[in-house]
Amino acid sequence: MACAAGCLIAAASYNWAQNQLDVSFHAFQDSRGVTVLSPDANFAKDFTDRTAVKVRFGVDAISAASDSCARCHPDGANNGRIVSSVNVTRKYGDTKLTLGGEFSRENFYSATTALASIARDLNKSNTTVAGGFAYSFNQPELHPDRITESQHSFDAYGSVTQSWTRKTVTQFGYEINQINGYQTNPFLRTSVNGVMTVGNSPDARTRHALSARLRQALPGDTFLDADYRWYHDTWAVDSNTLSLGLSHHFGSSVVGGGSYRRYTQTAAYFYEPSYTGSPEYYTGDFRLFPFDSNSVTGRLELTPKGGLMGMPAGTGLTLQYERYKSTTGFEAGIFTGGVRIPLK
Amino acid sequence: MMALRTRLMVALTLVGAGLLATGCATVQPWQRGLLADSCMVFDANNSAAYMTHWQESREGSMGGFGVQGGGCGCK
Amino acid sequence: MIARRLFTLALGTLLAAPVLGAVPKEAPDITLTAVSGKPIRMADLKGHVVLLDFWASWCIPCRRSFPEVDALNRELQPKGLTVIAVNVDEQQKNAYTFLEQYPHTMTVAFDTKGAAAQAFDLQAMPSSMILDRHGRIRFTHEGYTDKTIAQFRSEVLQLMGEAE
Repeated sequence: MACAAGCLIAAASYNWAQNQLDVSFHAFQDSRGVTVLSPDANFAKDFTDRTAVKVRFGVDAISAASDSCARCHPDGANNGRIVSSVNVTRKYGDTKLTLGGEFSRENFYSATTALASIARDLNKSNTTVAGGFAYSFNQPELHPDRITESQHSFDAYGSVTQSWTRKTVTQFGYEINQINGYQTNPFLRTSVNGVMTVGNSPDARTRHALSARLRQALPGDTFLDADYRWYHDTWAVDSNTLSLGLSHHFGSSVVGGGSYRRYTQTAAYFYEPSYTGSPEYYTGDFRLFPFDSNSVTGRLELTPKGGLMGMPAGTGLTLQYERYKSTTGFEAGIFTGGVRIPLK
Repeated sequence: MMALRTRLMVALTLVGAGLLATGCATVQPWQRGLLADSCMVFDANNSAAYMTHWQESREGSMGGFGVQGGGCGCK
Repeated sequence: MIARRLFTLALGTLLAAPVLGAVPKEAPDITLTAVSGKPIRMADLKGHVVLLDFWASWCIPCRRSFPEVDALNRELQPKGLTVIAVNVDEQQKNAYTFLEQYPHTMTVAFDTKGAAAQAFDLQAMPSSMILDRHGRIRFTHEGYTDKTIAQFRSEVLQLMGEAE
């Protein structure tokens, strides 16, 4: 799918002067028995006092195509995905301009994205106003026909981050995405008049998302995080996402935390469990079904004072486990282990 | 379910309130210690991109979250 | 005649305005507390060129600026520079954790309540001020870049070269 939020967040989120290398490994296993290991590396460096570069490289097999592979190839299929991105941020006083791009490729799908974003600090950095735009050109390849389709995605966002007190910060955001082109999942089938058939989705989709986020410092080195997102699109998929978490400092070297995420989604207007007659649109894509999901995440971060395993002081180790369960019967567990190494 | 136009108006009001707040809240630069804590920074975790991609491959929704502000506020 | 005098007065005011506007501000007469517990009164520092560097354990650019300012202190202290690194952490334990990781020779003072930061009207973190021998703030810096230390050195040497 379109790069959209993931790209823009990764691109424009930059802590100036925080040169570091982040290496993570994600291990994913779901209720169908699919197990995937995904390494991911992020490198961030200031090259001058006004210019910084962020590079990301990742390999994973979690995508709609890969999920679909498991249905016909339960013994496994070559379904690796490579993603890489480069973003350059330039400071002009209190304003940061970011330009970047991302490329991802897997069997039967590639996506190329260009993005630009701008952020300005106001009122002694108590307020940050940001906005950005991304264009993606995506090419799904039909299987086994090997016909290449295309889709164009245009994405824009705006956000305001406000520090209200020494202990309270909020962020409000809005994002709009327009996708034109082939949007049917070419692997997932549904029953039309008793025959399992590849779906047919509309060629245009406009998506809106509004978010409100809070970070609140509580007494006793404890912190609350709360995120809410409302989503609506022109296929009539509506969703609400609420995430609540707490984290706590155990001394100066250990941070522990947990969060709960609740997601509810309505179906696309052309969704039916099975179809009869001559429907114009029909789908077997589980992402367009109505469902709810709950996920729980536990997290531990260790930053020993003297460094870690020979790496410099400030090196941190992160361990995280998420358990996801939806009303469709799908369940997944994702384990993440990561190392963050500060660079000079 | 609220109409799209109503939700957009609510969103614009919230954003506008946020902008108006630029004249209200003044946390001084030397008072930002708690705001700079990693637990207070939005998307401090680099795994956010991976988790977003994994969620978007399973769910019909996307995006909506803004980008970093807050934090240290250092120059 | 009157018009000529008025014109001369106006012209003089216009020419003098930039000079009048550029009169250096006297540093506030506050007292800092060194890590050793010893009080440091700003008035007692007159006669010295002083570099005040406001830093915090949570300030990411300070992780680069702190050792660089300390190196500058070792270089120019024999020539008469006084460096005071003023920490603004609200919890001193965080400052001590930072100081353990960054050995230093310069004087470190605490400003946990932010009184000094407020008196000097800091606009950003990190911030630095260079005072001349008369206790006047002659240079102010916000933020830290690769050029900052060279700027400090040039400004300190300029002030050291001025007559007392």
